[in-house]
Amino acid sequence: MGHGKYIAPPVGQYQVQAGEVLNLQFVVLPGESKEIDIAIDLCGPGAEAHLKGLYLSKADEKVRFKVLMHHRAPACRSTQLFNGIAGGEADVRFDGTIVVAPDAQQTEAFQENHNIVLTESAKVVTKPQLEIYADDVKCSHGATVGQLNQDEIFYMRSRGIPEKEAKTLQMLSFLSPVIPAGREEEVEKAIRSL
Amino acid sequence: MQDSNKIIQEVTSAEYKEGFVTDVEQEFIPKGLNEDIVRMISARKEEPEWLLEFRLDAFRKWQAMPQPDWAHLDMPEIDFQDIIYFAAPKKDKDRPKEIDPKLAETFDKLGIPLQERDVLAGVVAVDAVFDSVSVTTTFRKTLAEKGIIFCSFSEAVKEHPDLVRKYLATVVPASDNFFAALNSAVFSDGSFCYIPKGVRCPMELSSYFRINARGTGQFERTLIVADEGSYVSYMEGCTAPMRDEQQLHAAVVEIIVEKDADVKYSTVQNWYPGDADGKGGILNLVTKRGICKGSGSHLSWTQVETGSAITWKYPSTILKGDFSASEFYSVAVTNNHQQADTGTKMIHLGRGTKSRIVSKGISAGVSQNSYRGLVRMARGAEGARNFSQCDSLLIGSRCGAHTFPDIQSQNPTATVEHEATTSKISEDQLFYCNQRGIGPEEAVGLIVNGYAREVLSRLPMEFAVEAQKLLQVSLEGSVG
Repeated sequence: MGHGKYIAPPVGQYQVQAGEVLNLQFVVLPGESKEIDIAIDLCGPGAEAHLKGLYLSKADEKVRFKVLMHHRAPACRSTQLFNGIAGGEADVRFDGTIVVAPDAQQTEAFQENHNIVLTESAKVVTKPQLEIYADDVKCSHGATVGQLNQDEIFYMRSRGIPEKEAKTLQMLSFLSPVIPAGREEEVEKAIRSL
Repeated sequence: MQDSNKIIQEVTSAEYKEGFVTDVEQEFIPKGLNEDIVRMISARKEEPEWLLEFRLDAFRKWQAMPQPDWAHLDMPEIDFQDIIYFAAPKKDKDRPKEIDPKLAETFDKLGIPLQERDVLAGVVAVDAVFDSVSVTTTFRKTLAEKGIIFCSFSEAVKEHPDLVRKYLATVVPASDNFFAALNSAVFSDGSFCYIPKGVRCPMELSSYFRINARGTGQFERTLIVADEGSYVSYMEGCTAPMRDEQQLHAAVVEIIVEKDADVKYSTVQNWYPGDADGKGGILNLVTKRGICKGSGSHLSWTQVETGSAITWKYPSTILKGDFSASEFYSVAVTNNHQQADTGTKMIHLGRGTKSRIVSKGISAGVSQNSYRGLVRMARGAEGARNFSQCDSLLIGSRCGAHTFPDIQSQNPTATVEHEATTSKISEDQLFYCNQRGIGPEEAVGLIVNGYAREVLSRLPMEFAVEAQKLLQVSLEGSVG
């Protein structure tokens, strides 16, 4: 790997003990078909996990995110944000599950998944799931599938920004919360290639 | 002081008040399920050959299907051979036209008027189904003047075979799923409703389903057809006696909405939920689906689910016509050992179709409450739009609340939004109420009603009052 500071984290099982904080960031760029399957156990009180994910697809890539966030101990916190853009004939799937065990009180778990579909033949399936067995919790998830905002593009064009550039800017801002430090240029290049 | 004590006692001891049994002579067919039983049901209902063929075909398909286990439910083993598939109250030979006074009394006790002169008369027309047969349908004449057909399914087969044949199983095919196939094979009675072109139905239509006999299952079938530009509001209610054994209820509801027609379907489901230890109760395994066939058509589902030991129900809409719209509003309450896996499917096929999902789950005791939903934007769903909101409210630390949405988009111009939250009734809210002299039980009722208001306000007036009371009763004993 070795693009600047960023190193892709391995997929698989993670266990986060009391007081530990886990930060993971995933990037899937055009031309890559990937299956990212991770399971995180928050095992001790006060453990935290923060996940971010980004994908960009423009041909016939197959991108799979499978995330299982298991809150096993009380007072743990988790956040997830996965944003991506599907073009070409891309086939994207997000399966995210948050499980809060019966005694994991004071849990805070948030999950978001936002997708933009660019073409007729791209396909996005998202399944954000919550399984909650404790009552003193704050949990939410949100998922959207949509397209570039025409009004915003019009706004930029009316101010002299060419259409292609306006779209690029919009996609860049859409993805910016999930771009890892050190990979901004690479992602921008990938957006321009769409 | 004594007065207030009495009130508290009354309120806290209130339980399932529809749990009585009607002592009426009934005829049954033998227990079990095989082709002969299917033939027997068909013969008893004097059905035409094509319907028997339909049943047998469904039965053969059902035999080859496995029982689904994907739902988030702890489903007991159902012995399909241990169920009586047809039970009907005996007709009095001397007065074949009249309703048995005992049956009339039963429905009277349930608050369902079978006499057209009753208070609600003029507002609601009722089709009352008792076990496997329809007892009576009120206001048929008044409705017939407008060309509206509202009768029991069995009568529809005899009197309007062409219509039934044209629409039956067009939305829920016999092989759709395990329980729909079972229903298609052994369905007994239900309601049939046809609203002709351009007619606005002048009153609410309603079906009331009552399970009475022991060891039976109820398999109703309802078919609603709204022709071009028509409007109908349809309500459905149900109750059953309290028993230790679990009883099966597997219904199929099909709704066809033609161009510019508007159908509103409301359910208040109050089957017996089982006792506090999870013994008994109804297994409510139903398939409900509507199709917005023509452009500009509209179908709205509203459901309040408070009963049943197990609920497995996903009222769905296929948005086929361009610019058609559908909504799903649901409140599902589970207490004690109840389990609910309910939600909706919105299949967007046509251009500019719109759907909205608002689901409010409330779990208490040691119950499990799941929302499961599918939103699909097909290739042709240009500019389609969906918004889903699923909230869960947890009361007590031993219950569960789950959300399983599935969002599929194949169209770059379609927009789908889903959001879900989970929360509990906060101490602050309860404290605020207590401080102002509102007891804990009442406070929970108040907060829950506020939480479910967005859905309850969609119900027809007659139902809304009932539903609010039900929410309160269902949650009794869940605090403290």
